[in-house]
Amino acid sequence: MDKISQRQLFFFLACVAPVGKLVLLPAQLVYASANDLLFPAAANYLLQAGAIALVMLAARSERTLPELLENTFGKIAGSAVMVCLSFFYFYAAFFPLIEQKLFVQGVFYDTLPSLLVFSPFFVLSAYLCAKPASAIGRISDMAAPVSVVAFAGLLVLSVPSADFSALNPVGAAGADGFLRGTAWSMSWFFDSALLLALIGKFRYRKGMVWKAPLCYLAGGAAVIAFLAVFYGVFSDIALRQTFAFAKIAKYFSAISVLGRIDYVFICLLSLVMVFYTALPLQAGTQALRAAFRDKGSPAIYAAAINAVFFALAVLLNDRFLAVQETITKTLFWIFPLFSCLLPAAALLLRRTPREKTA
Amino acid sequence: MNSVTGNLTSDAEALKKLLPAQDILLFPFETEAGMPFIAVYADGITDKELLGEQIARPLRSYRGSVRADDVRRRLTCPELRPQKDLALLAAEVLAGNPVLLWEGMDEALVTGVKKVFTRAVAEPPTDVAVKGPREGFIEDLKTNMSLVRRRLKTPDLRFETFTIGRRSATSVTLCFLEGITPPSVVSDVRKRLAAIDVDVLPDSSYLTHFLVSRPRSLLKQAGTTEKPDIFCAKIAEGRVGILADGSPVALTLPYLVVEDFQSSEDYFVSPHRATFTRVLRLFAVLVAIYLPAFYIAAQLFKLQLIPIRLLLTIAGSIQNIPLSPSLEMLLVLLLLEVLNEASIRMPKYVGMALSVVGALVLGETAARAGFVSTPAIIIVAFSGIGLYAVPNLTETTSVLRLAMLLVAGSVGTYGIVLLTAFLLFYLAATENYGVPVFAPFSPMIGRDLRDSLVKYNLSSLSRRPVALNSRNKRRMKHG
Repeated sequence: MDKISQRQLFFFLACVAPVGKLVLLPAQLVYASANDLLFPAAANYLLQAGAIALVMLAARSERTLPELLENTFGKIAGSAVMVCLSFFYFYAAFFPLIEQKLFVQGVFYDTLPSLLVFSPFFVLSAYLCAKPASAIGRISDMAAPVSVVAFAGLLVLSVPSADFSALNPVGAAGADGFLRGTAWSMSWFFDSALLLALIGKFRYRKGMVWKAPLCYLAGGAAVIAFLAVFYGVFSDIALRQTFAFAKIAKYFSAISVLGRIDYVFICLLSLVMVFYTALPLQAGTQALRAAFRDKGSPAIYAAAINAVFFALAVLLNDRFLAVQETITKTLFWIFPLFSCLLPAAALLLRRTPREKTA
Repeated sequence: MNSVTGNLTSDAEALKKLLPAQDILLFPFETEAGMPFIAVYADGITDKELLGEQIARPLRSYRGSVRADDVRRRLTCPELRPQKDLALLAAEVLAGNPVLLWEGMDEALVTGVKKVFTRAVAEPPTDVAVKGPREGFIEDLKTNMSLVRRRLKTPDLRFETFTIGRRSATSVTLCFLEGITPPSVVSDVRKRLAAIDVDVLPDSSYLTHFLVSRPRSLLKQAGTTEKPDIFCAKIAEGRVGILADGSPVALTLPYLVVEDFQSSEDYFVSPHRATFTRVLRLFAVLVAIYLPAFYIAAQLFKLQLIPIRLLLTIAGSIQNIPLSPSLEMLLVLLLLEVLNEASIRMPKYVGMALSVVGALVLGETAARAGFVSTPAIIIVAFSGIGLYAVPNLTETTSVLRLAMLLVAGSVGTYGIVLLTAFLLFYLAATENYGVPVFAPFSPMIGRDLRDSLVKYNLSSLSRRPVALNSRNKRRMKHG
C-alpha cells in the first residue's frame, strides 16, 4: 500500500477526529462550564491545531518518528522513547474504549447487556492494529463521507428543536469554569499525538503546515456547532445527556410516526467511531513494534495488546466511572504533555543519521 | 524424445502406442502411384468429411516426391503444421487435429480439420439487457475470440494462448490491448497462468483461484462477464481478459467492486437514469444484507428502532410464534435459499411449479399454521429480491446476509456495526495486481467517481479509470 495522501490526512482531521468528541465530551463540558461549553472546546481545538502545525513541521523531513529518534538519541534511547510513546497511546486508548463501551450499552440495548457484546470490538481492533499505518488513510477516505452524511443528518433533525438563547448569558461560568472545562476536556484532545505516529508515512506537501490545522479547525467548528445545538436542545438538563449524538435528535417531530430514524445516522457515526476508537491502539501497537525494531509479526503484537485490553475491560467493568474520573480530572495533564510538548520537541530531532565514529 | 522415423508402419504403431484408446483410429490410403499414407485421428472430434475432401482426395492423384513441402502444396487444407515429436503429435490428435504420416519422410503434418461443436451465439441468461447488444460468449474459444476481435479491430489487441490442465489440456487465452493495459499486470497474469498446474480445468472460474491475491476470500476478486461488449469495454479501460475453452464466462482483471454495480445498459441510457438505477442497485443490496439483521436486532435488543404502530402490528403477528425471532428468520431465510437452489437445479417446468408452491403455498400455510410470522416472510422476500438486483454479487451477498443475521441475533445492532466496519476495513486493505478493489471510494479517486455510483455524461468520461493505471490515459477527445 502507498503512503497516506494529503487528502486522506485532511479527511481524518476534518471528518474522523470530531466523531470522538460527540459522546461524553458535551455532557462533561456542560458539567464543567455550563452554558459556556463552547469556549473550553474552542481552546482545546486551538491548542491542538497549533500542535498539529508543529507535527507538520516535523514531518517535512519525511522521516518516521523512530528514525528521527534514532538519529538523535541512538538506537537504545530511541527505542526507549518509542516504548514511552506507545504507553501513552495505550493510556489514551483507554478512555475512548470506556466511552464506546458505555455508549454501546446505553444506546444499542434496551436492557444492560453482558460485557461479552463488547468483546468483538477487540477482534476488529486487533485486525486494524495488524495493518500498516497506510491503511488508516484508505479507511479515512471511506469514513469521511459517512461521517459528513451522519453528522449533517443529525444536525438537520435536531436544529429545529434547539433554542440557542439557552447559551446566554455568555461568560456566566467565568474564568474558573473556562479553565475547569479546558482541563477536564483535555482527555479528548490528543489528535496531534496520533498524527505524530504517522510522520514519515505520509508525503509532505507544501502548505500542509497551515492546511492541516485548518482542516482540524473545520472539524472543530462542526463540533462546536454540534455543542451549541446540543445545549440549545437540552439546556439545563444537558448535563444528564451522556451520549450526546445518540440523543440530540430524539425530539424530532416525525419520530413518533417514522420511528427513531436518527438511528440510521447514529449507526453510521458509530461505524466511524469504531475506527477512531481503535486508532490509539493501532498507533500504540505500531510504536511498540518500532521500538523492538519491527521484530515479530504485527499480528502477534496486535493480538497480545488487544487481549490485554480485553482483560482490563473485564477487570474494570464495574469501575469504569472511577477510571473516567481519574483520567479526566486528575491525570488530564498527561495528554497535553504528549500531544503538545512532544510535537514541539520533535522539531529538535536530528534529520540525518549520526556519523559513526571509528 | 521420440520422433517420426520415416518408417510408416513403425511410426503409426508408435503413435498408436501413445494413444491406445479405442476412439483413436488409423486411416490408411495410398496414391494412384502406390505411395502409402496413414492419417491418425480421434473419432468424434475430427471432421471426417474435411479429412476426406482436403487431405485424402487431393493425395490420390499425387505423383510427387516424399518431401513434406511437395505433399503440403498438394493439400487444400489451410491449416497445416509440420511436426516431428511423437508426443506433440499425440497431443494434436487428442485436440482433434489429424496427423498425416507417410513412408520415407521423418516428419508428419498436423492438419487442422478439427470438428467444432458450437451452440449458436445467444443472449446470456445471466446478463439480459433491454437496450444494447444481445450477443453472449459460448463454450468455443475460437468463436469467443472472434466476437472480441469483431469489436476491437485494432492490431493492438493481443491474444496469447496457454494450455492449462495436465489431462484436460484446455486452451486459455489472455487478451489485452498493447499500449493500454499496464505491462506489469500483463506479465503478472502471464506468469500466474504459466504456473498453473492442475489436472483438469472444467471452467474459467477455476482460474480465479490461481489469479487472485486472496483466493480464500469470501469477497469476489475477479470480474466475470458473459457478454463480449462488456468484456471489450473492460479491456479498453486497461484490464486484461481471460477466455477459457469450454466456458462461456470470461474473466477480467484487475477487479473493482464498483464494476458489479454498473450495467452495460447504463452507457446506453441517460446519465440521470443510469445514476438512479445504480443507486437503486446499491440500495437493494444494502436492504438485502441488512434488513433481516436489523429486524432481528430491533426485536431482540432495541424495540425503539421500530415505529410504534409498526411495532404493534409486528407484536400482533409474532405473539403466537413458537420460535425465537432469530431462529424464525434463519428458518425462513434457509427455506428461501433451498427454494432458490432447487428451482435452479430442477428441470425448467418443475422449477416453475416449485417456485409457486414454495413462495405461495408454503409461505402462506406456514404463516397460517403459526410456524412463522408474516413480517418475517415479507422481510425475507424483500431481501431475496434485493439480492438479485446485482446478480454478479449474489454469491457474496447471500453469505453476508446470513453472517449479519447471526451477528444481529447474538450481539445486536453493535454486532452489525462491527461486522460492517470489518468488511470496510478489509475492502480498503485488499488489492489485486496493485489496484485497490474498493477504488474509487477507498482510496478516493475523484475522477473515477464520475463513473461509480454516479454516472456522468459520456463527454466527462474522456479518460480511462485512474485506478487501473492504464498507460494511455485518454480514451476520447474531450467535448
